Formats: sequence, structure tokens, C-alpha cells
Amino acid sequence: MSLEFLNAFKFMKKESFLHNLDPRAKLVLALTYTISALLFKQIIPLLIIFLSLIPLVIIGKILKQWLKSIRGLSFLVLFIIILNTLFMSLSFAIAMILRICIMVSAFSIFFLTVDPNDLALSLISMKFPYEFAFSFSLAFRFVPTIAIEAQNIIDAQQSRGYEMQKKGFINQIKNLFPLLIPLIICSIRRAFNVAEALESRAFGSKKDRSYYYTIKFTLKDWIFTIYLILFLIVFIFIRIQFSIMPDWFVWRLPV
Amino acid sequence: MITISKEFPLIVIKALDYIYPNGTVALKNINLNIQKGEMLGIMGKNGAGKTTLIRTLNGLIRPTSGDIYINNENINSRSIADLSTYVGLIFQNPSHQLFANSVEDEIKFSLKNLYLNKEELQIKINEILRNFNLDKYRDRSPLNLSGGESKKLAIASIICRAPEILVFDEPTLGQDAREIESFIKLINSEKEKGKTIIIITHNIEFAYEFIPRTILMGGGEIIADGPTQNVLNNNFLTERSSLILPQTRQLSLALQEIGFQDINKIVTKNDITEYLIKFLRNKTTSAQEE
Repeated sequence: MSLEFLNAFKFMKKESFLHNLDPRAKLVLALTYTISALLFKQIIPLLIIFLSLIPLVIIGKILKQWLKSIRGLSFLVLFIIILNTLFMSLSFAIAMILRICIMVSAFSIFFLTVDPNDLALSLISMKFPYEFAFSFSLAFRFVPTIAIEAQNIIDAQQSRGYEMQKKGFINQIKNLFPLLIPLIICSIRRAFNVAEALESRAFGSKKDRSYYYTIKFTLKDWIFTIYLILFLIVFIFIRIQFSIMPDWFVWRLPV
Repeated sequence: MITISKEFPLIVIKALDYIYPNGTVALKNINLNIQKGEMLGIMGKNGAGKTTLIRTLNGLIRPTSGDIYINNENINSRSIADLSTYVGLIFQNPSHQLFANSVEDEIKFSLKNLYLNKEELQIKINEILRNFNLDKYRDRSPLNLSGGESKKLAIASIICRAPEILVFDEPTLGQDAREIESFIKLINSEKEKGKTIIIITHNIEFAYEFIPRTILMGGGEIIADGPTQNVLNNNFLTERSSLILPQTRQLSLALQEIGFQDINKIVTKNDITEYLIKFLRNKTTSAQEE
């Protein structure tokens, strides 16, 4: 088993319109798409929202990584299809898959294009306390480290005969313990080490601090944010006025 | 089932290449034969491909091209679970594998897939805990063990599966002198049982004294393969691998410079100590006679 799909959430420095946007604008993007996805449970509107993400992915030059994040969902997709088809309907299952894909894609775009340091700065500019902003960006920065650690744990357990795939739902849950316990313990230990390292470098010794880098919300960030807000307003309107939408908009599979 | 025979080298690696999905070339045309019962050291600077190479031995990494044979049988299609019965890979960081409620349960987890009956299982657990001096910690949580003890438990949890090949990744890292000493005892006893042992190490003194054959790796390739003392006495090779000459070698070179020509063949710390004691005794006796 490989956790390589987690690389789909790892920031990569690139020169693109999306990379050059202010992190706050990209946070608005992630939230806008998440809210829009939660507004509907029909295939067509969710498909439109999903397709509207693709030009952004292309502009951001992150198509390959984004596809990896979608591929990483395959197990979840299977799970959603089986459960929803059994208890609801196939149309509902497809809609839920689209919903998950939109949310994962929106956050994948965010994590792939936002430098963790810029994220802390943007939170500070939104008047979040420095300690909170720093912890948030630190957590963000540790995602790939934890992915590597998780892979090492899987390898170490497999080396002593641990089998990843077990039959039965309960067995599969039980099977996670040999992976989760070492991962949680290693993460807690690392958190203590990081805290000590920060304190030994006088973290939080002064309330007021200056910043070497600053970020600025420019015209293109405003235009992009306004576009996102309009996008959200349109979909909220559609949701409220759903009854007046044409038939094709509420199309469902016959089964 | 892989049946071990003495007719072929136990491990044969042919033209092995491995390229990571991000395009990094980790292993380039690795060709290597390892005999049954042999103890082999793998050295080289960080990023040389040592860990990648050992991960291919139990299927954790599948080669991009090339083949690995264990006892003349290609392992490319074997599952990790199957290979782990023959190749016991002991990782650097014991906290990556310890999770059970007690030391005893930790060993039990490793033995689970061997399908032993209850009685056999208990006998095996008792035996392994006794051999590793972990008896007294039987009911203790593995998370409350010291660094050395948890490393010992991690090793015990692999050795209890009795694999034919033992592969250690940096076993002496972070270990004190006593712990290294007990590790040396352990590998010697495993060697006496006929086990094949592969050790990745940066500990040049340890390799120089205890490992008969060493391969040096650099840039994903094997740059030297031979008797450890020959490999590590070679200034050119050690420099290329970010290593320094072993202290005993440095001392013997310094002594040669001041006229001790016959010290060249002396390798171990004990031999040099004995040689110098003998020399000083002779000198004292001849001074007294004068």
C-alpha cells in the first residue's frame, strides 16, 4: 500500500496565476466550492461545479497532482457506491461521489498552491493570534512528514507478517490498530520535540513581533474573490429556486 | 514455500534498477551475490541507495527492472507477507512498529501469522523473551521501555519469526557501548545458527571489526565489494563514501610512520592493544637487563 496520493496535498512552488494569488483568495475558493457542493444532492449541478474546477486546475499547472488526489479517493468511491446503492440509489451514490471529489479537489488546489509560510501570514493579517497561525501552518507543513512516517510504519509492520487486506469490516477496523497507534505516538512525541525546540528558540517571548515578509491583496485577488462570491451566490439562488429549474437539471438515473 | 539449499548463492541480485515515482534514480544496475550464512555490511553516504536496496529484498519495493532470486527463485511475484517469513527486515526506529499493550503481546503479534497452536505459541514467546532478556518486562507496555530495550524488542519481534535472512537498518544508531556489545553477541549467535545477515551501518569501527564483507554504495551503485578491511582501508573509496578511516587503521598507519612496520596486518582493537603491551613489556625487560 502506498500513501503517495498524499503528495497531491503537498505544496509545490510553481509560476502560475493560481500560485501567485493571495492565500486568502484561495481559502475563499476552497470554502466556496465546499459550500456549493453541500448545497446539492443531484448529479447535474454537482457535475457543473466539478467541471468548473478543471480550468482552475489547468491554469494552476497542477493537473497531474490533482489527478493523483482523485485517484487516491478510489477506495472511498467504492465504499460510497456500495453503501449508497444498497441503501439509497445509484443516482444518489454518483452525486455523493461528485460532492466528495469537489471538496477534495478544492482543498487539493488550496494545499498544492499555498506556501505554508504564506498561509500563516494570511491568517495573521486576518487578525488571528500569531500562535494559532503558526500552529496551523506547522500542522500543514507536517502533512508530508506524517505521510512518510505512515509509510515507514506500514513497511515495518508488513516486515513482520502484517497483512493489509483482511476480510470483514470488523477485521479491517482491528487491522488499523498496528498502524494508527505507532503513528499517533510518533506524532505526539514529535509535537513535544517541536514545542521544546520552539521554546528553546524563544518562541512567544514577546507579544509584538515584526515580519520579514508581508503579503498584499492585489487587484487580481479582488477580481478572483468577487468571481467566487458571485459563483456562490448563483448556486445559492439555484438551490433556493430549485423548483423553477428545467427538467434536465434534476435528471436522475432510472435506477 | 522457498526451500533453502546450499547449491546456489542464497541471494542473487541481477541488473537491479529502481526509480522512484518522482523520477529519482535510487538504484542503478545492482549485481550482487550473497552466500548462505554470510554476514554482509552495506555502507555509503546518506542517499546512496542502501535502504532502498534492502527494501527490495522483502518486496516492500518492487524493482523497476532487474531480478532478485532467493535460493534460485525469483521473488518479484511473491507477496510481502510471504517474503517476511524468509527475510526479516529490522527498521531503524523501533517506535514505528511497537503498538501492543505489553511486550508479550508485541511478540505474539509477530507470531500470529505463523499459525502456531496455543501451546507452541506460549513456548515460543517464553523462549524469545528469555533469550532477549526481556522476561522482566513481559507485562510492561512497549511504549515505556528505554531506547535500547525497545530496539531489542523490535529485533526480538522479527527474530521470533525465524527468518533465514536478517536485515538490519542502522542497528547501532543511538545505542550505548553495552547495547552495541549485546547486539554483537546477538548477531554472532544468529550467525552460528547459519543465518545470513545483512547490516546497513555508518558505524565504521563496528563494521571494521565485526563484518567480514562490505559493499560500499554511492549514487545508487555498488562502488566497492570485498573484505571489509580491504574496502575500508582504501582511502579513495572511504573519501568517496563520506567515511573516515577506522581508528585502528589510523593508529596502525601512525605507528608505521614511526617505524612499527609489522603492525600493518593488525586489524582489531584487541590485537593492537596486545601488540603494544607486548612491545612495551619487551622494551621494559630489555631496559632492565641493560
